[in-house]
Amino acid sequence: MIEFINFYLIPGITLGSIYALGAVGISMIFGILRFAHFAHGDLMTVGAYGALTVVWVTGIPPLFAIPFAVALAIIAALSCDRLFYKPLRELPTIYTVIASFGVALILRSLIQVIWGTESQVYVKGFQKPLVYFDTFRIATRHVQIIASTVVITGLLHVFLSYSRMGRCMRAVADDASLARVAGIDTDNVIRWTWIIGAALAAIAGVFVGLDTDVHTNLGWNMLLPMFAAALLGGIGKPLGAITGGLIIGIVEECVSYPFFGEALLSPSYKSAVAFVIMIALLILRPQGLFKGRLL
Amino acid sequence: MKQTVLASAVLAIALASGTAAAEEVKVGALMGITGPLANFIPPILNAARLAEKDVNDGGGILGGEKFSLVVVDGQAAAQPSVDAASKLVNLENVAAIMGGLSSGATIASANAVSIPNGVLQLSPTSTSPAMTDMEDNDFLFRIVPSDNYQGQVLAKMVLEENLNKVAVAYVNNDYGVGIAGTFKAAYESLGGTVTAFEKHEDKKNSYRGELASMASSGAEALVVIAYAGGSGAKIVKQSLENGFFDRFVGTDGLRDDLLIEQIGADALATTFFSAPTSPDDNPVGDVFHARFDEEFGEGSDKPFVDQSYDATMLIALAIEKAGTTDRTKVRDALREVANAPGEEIGPGDWKKAVALLADGKDINYEGVSGSHEFDDKGDVAGFIGKFVVDGDSYKQTAIFK
Repeated sequence: MIEFINFYLIPGITLGSIYALGAVGISMIFGILRFAHFAHGDLMTVGAYGALTVVWVTGIPPLFAIPFAVALAIIAALSCDRLFYKPLRELPTIYTVIASFGVALILRSLIQVIWGTESQVYVKGFQKPLVYFDTFRIATRHVQIIASTVVITGLLHVFLSYSRMGRCMRAVADDASLARVAGIDTDNVIRWTWIIGAALAAIAGVFVGLDTDVHTNLGWNMLLPMFAAALLGGIGKPLGAITGGLIIGIVEECVSYPFFGEALLSPSYKSAVAFVIMIALLILRPQGLFKGRLL
Repeated sequence: MKQTVLASAVLAIALASGTAAAEEVKVGALMGITGPLANFIPPILNAARLAEKDVNDGGGILGGEKFSLVVVDGQAAAQPSVDAASKLVNLENVAAIMGGLSSGATIASANAVSIPNGVLQLSPTSTSPAMTDMEDNDFLFRIVPSDNYQGQVLAKMVLEENLNKVAVAYVNNDYGVGIAGTFKAAYESLGGTVTAFEKHEDKKNSYRGELASMASSGAEALVVIAYAGGSGAKIVKQSLENGFFDRFVGTDGLRDDLLIEQIGADALATTFFSAPTSPDDNPVGDVFHARFDEEFGEGSDKPFVDQSYDATMLIALAIEKAGTTDRTKVRDALREVANAPGEEIGPGDWKKAVALLADGKDINYEGVSGSHEFDDKGDVAGFIGKFVVDGDSYKQTAIFK
């Protein structure tokens, strides 16, 4: 049992936290701007490399480099929106979806040009995990990732429920034209959507780098599970996306546990889990767990 | 008058671009510039560039034309490699393709692009046994020995280190499945026991679950068959952190400087690796390595530098021998320039080779990484080395022929 917690559940929660932070942005952009943002994974990568630069230059721990990562990702997201998405805003959203594919390639190529294609780590070598009660083991970085995600979720909840901007965002997500008629500045809402989405993506990117390594396909590789998480929680429901991310991360890691003597699923099929959840959900409950927007 | 000027300007441009295209003989280099092999690429690409330079400094190809490498990125994965190879064949109209690097990339691009289009593809690094019996119409070649051989040598090495029980973690692609299978068969037939045999998907963040169950199987060491930049370094790191394994055995995919950089040399002191290598008593090797380091500053000792140079040089020689960029003729010429008999040509002997070919003589390229005698499957015999960690890189401690 303790083995299940140490080697399946904890890594699952860690992975789920990362998916969750990435999925919030996807869900909000989908809800407010009404398009699937395929460059979101690459915003994560931008954040991860932003932090890597700070770690290289100053030698501070990667967690303290997060503000810089966030700033860089926000700048990238706002300039992409201004340059590529805004001019297409009045056209059918499929144009923007395709444009976001292009933006994903642009961001990734820029990263490759600036930082190179080789995989990097924030901290070299390996650290022994913390051990409690002689049997419970957890890596320091996993404590950091999980705790930060809990704090961020709390802040996000407060922001969306009690701040004026948060309520405006939810109004636009529910019905954009009604919100505009009611006098909500949609441009400002869109700006804040990008800022929050990009900030959380950057944090998720740094967490991936902290957990494993930083490479140019880091975010792109996680895009599919993050979309599944956003759908699972319900489009336009940021807290739903967090739940969805955690569920997908935990399920993905735990399916290979030998519950009945035999691994439930060969570990080589882990990646299929997000697909299966996504397809099942689209058929059985397309609005997601938290009654999000129907696609 | 104006019209005439315009017409002649257009004509001049058309002629200029027409002749520019004719002056260049293009060969594709299908590399995994991004993806799990990214760390291997810079020296491999430099070696191919050195071969390109040797041809052009030696008077060019096909009567003084420029020999030009077109480099594309296949991300060391199947689908991107198919796209990249198809760009080489259909847009760049290359005479032949040097690459891909990972077996998955090579097999996919050969099946989807080079074989149907009849383009010679020569891989400098792909070792999967599956390539030997592919229905390739004789268009697919490689200059490293098949993992049928590396698997057997690795099994012997592991037993020589008195490791009688091992667990095997291998990546689920053509490379991993191929060598894991041959290793397991050879190891068991020599008396070893494989306690766990688990394939995994690369690009995942945690392998702790699989590793925990493999660790409880009673193995003395973990054989990691994966690319360091894909899943290999993560597997080693997570094993060490959680105390699953403290001893590892790797193959060529894991023998990446990145592994030492991320894990540290101390923890890898007992780890050893098998990888295709060059003959150790080859005088042309030292000359070539000195020339390489002079040109690029460093890197002549990195994996697959020799093979990359040889593959590029062999393609250039085949084109020169064929006397045309006709793809089938280039393919037909490859065995004639690579295999005995014929006057021996070494790396850097481009001028000599051209002169011999012009006289109608037969040549036999003897490369840095071996003598490259292709059999009828497009395979070569070769050498496998045993490597251990030495500082921030690797050193060869034994060689098997």
